[in-house]
Amino acid sequence: MSLALEFHQISKEYRNFPGRRLRALDDFSLQVEKGEIFGFLGPNGAGKSTAIHLAMGFMLPSHGNGRLLGEPFGHAKTRRRVGFLAENVALYHRRAQRLVQFYAALNGMHGAELEKRSVEVLDAVGLLEHASRNVGKFSRGMLQRVGLAQALVNDPELLILDEPTSALDPLARVSIRELLLRAREQGKTIFLSSHLLSEVELICDRVAVLHRGKLVRLGRTADLLHSADQTEISARGISANLFLGATTENGFVRFAVPTSSQRAAIEKVWAAGGEVVRLNPMRRSLEQVFLEVTSSQEAPTKVGEL
Amino acid sequence: MKPVLLIAVNFVREQRWPILVLLLWVLLLAFQGLMTELPREREDLLFIFKQVAVYVVVFSVFFGGSAIYNERRSRRILAVLAKDVARHQYLSGLVIGVTMACGLYCFTLGLTGSWTLGPSGFQIRDVWLLMVCLAAASALAGTVALMFSTFLNPFFAAGGTAVVLLLPAVLERTVNRNLGIIVPAWELTATVVKSSFDSPVQISWTPILLALIETVLFWLMSTWIFKRVDIAVAVE
Repeated sequence: MSLALEFHQISKEYRNFPGRRLRALDDFSLQVEKGEIFGFLGPNGAGKSTAIHLAMGFMLPSHGNGRLLGEPFGHAKTRRRVGFLAENVALYHRRAQRLVQFYAALNGMHGAELEKRSVEVLDAVGLLEHASRNVGKFSRGMLQRVGLAQALVNDPELLILDEPTSALDPLARVSIRELLLRAREQGKTIFLSSHLLSEVELICDRVAVLHRGKLVRLGRTADLLHSADQTEISARGISANLFLGATTENGFVRFAVPTSSQRAAIEKVWAAGGEVVRLNPMRRSLEQVFLEVTSSQEAPTKVGEL
Repeated sequence: MKPVLLIAVNFVREQRWPILVLLLWVLLLAFQGLMTELPREREDLLFIFKQVAVYVVVFSVFFGGSAIYNERRSRRILAVLAKDVARHQYLSGLVIGVTMACGLYCFTLGLTGSWTLGPSGFQIRDVWLLMVCLAAASALAGTVALMFSTFLNPFFAAGGTAVVLLLPAVLERTVNRNLGIIVPAWELTATVVKSSFDSPVQISWTPILLALIETVLFWLMSTWIFKRVDIAVAVE
């Protein structure tokens, strides 16, 4: 599988005062495959934006290197194939369509194609009726959507989005989510940094969690959400008192047991005259995973298929 | 070349209000000049013209020294450099933008100078020659300021620019009178300041040519530095 984005042992240090250094990224390595939606998570100050700015060539790594669509970070021509939306989007105060056309023209678009694409992307983000309004008068959510439009206008192969839905209302969020899913269907790669874990859980194929500049989790979203340690069992014909923490719902008793004692639990159900109707690895929310990994300072861990 | 021009025009557009205020100021002074009693007050008229003319060098330092800082602080630079725009192209756009802004000022001043000074006996050709000197000086001054602003904040960039531009004047007076041409912004500005009704303007094309060459050299230095600096600071 070819790679859309690759960080190879990258470290980034900031010099605040003479003698004082802050390490934002520490020996960070990550590979994003083409055609996937990749969720990039981490608490504030984890180094997410630094990693994104390095990939876009805004910053230079202190150590290590990386590649964007096969070219070293900072290669201007490659950025023509990339769409980028920064956190706290800041754009020039112009009419929305003119603004989108300005950014498209910087990527070499011109003529009828420029006109057509600017209309298409404004329509895609739900701003076509505001195309002739100055973005200086836009709300933060609308501004974010114009930012997304300028990122999409050159029909990029790779979208790098830093908090693309943070200021959006639920309706707009759903439409952007659908837009991203459509983009994946078209074979585009999406690198998505977000604090909205429910969004990430819904659309991302793989997820990486960054904490204090280090990669602490990486894996398929489904694998991360399934706990290998706990199994959830549903049974009928038994009393809920038989297992600690069991609940009854529609006549079914549900409880979780450590995977290592799963067999013993099933035998206990049978011994009590009951029947096991369902047995699943316990599913956690991404929020639980996130809290688990960011509250500890463990070494980089990889989960599932890489 | 297209991204460079887009960035240049965008720079002028973003600075349209200060530019407009400066142009209106020039026009206002010109209208005031048209109402003076010639030839009795023609020396005053020339003095004001020279004063207003020399300001363009200061404006170019202001525009050049604050351009990158403003773009970085507003984070608008990110969306531009996320496109197919190399850093040297971005700087070229700013240099051309600053020069365009100052050129507009010089052109307006040339027009108004022709209206006001022409009838009082100052050669209109000389007015435009002085504007060429000023345009060259402001292009150089703006580029030096831009070069400093790639790694300093606007205040220190302006200070650094002042040192570079005024050092030849100090050397000219203390070491050798031919050293004034090293960085010819001073020399070109002095040409404007020394102009008078009594003697025709003596233009030497050497400092103008040198100013243009040095503008390119300082632009090259800017790009060399700008390629090596982080342009975004993490939000965290």
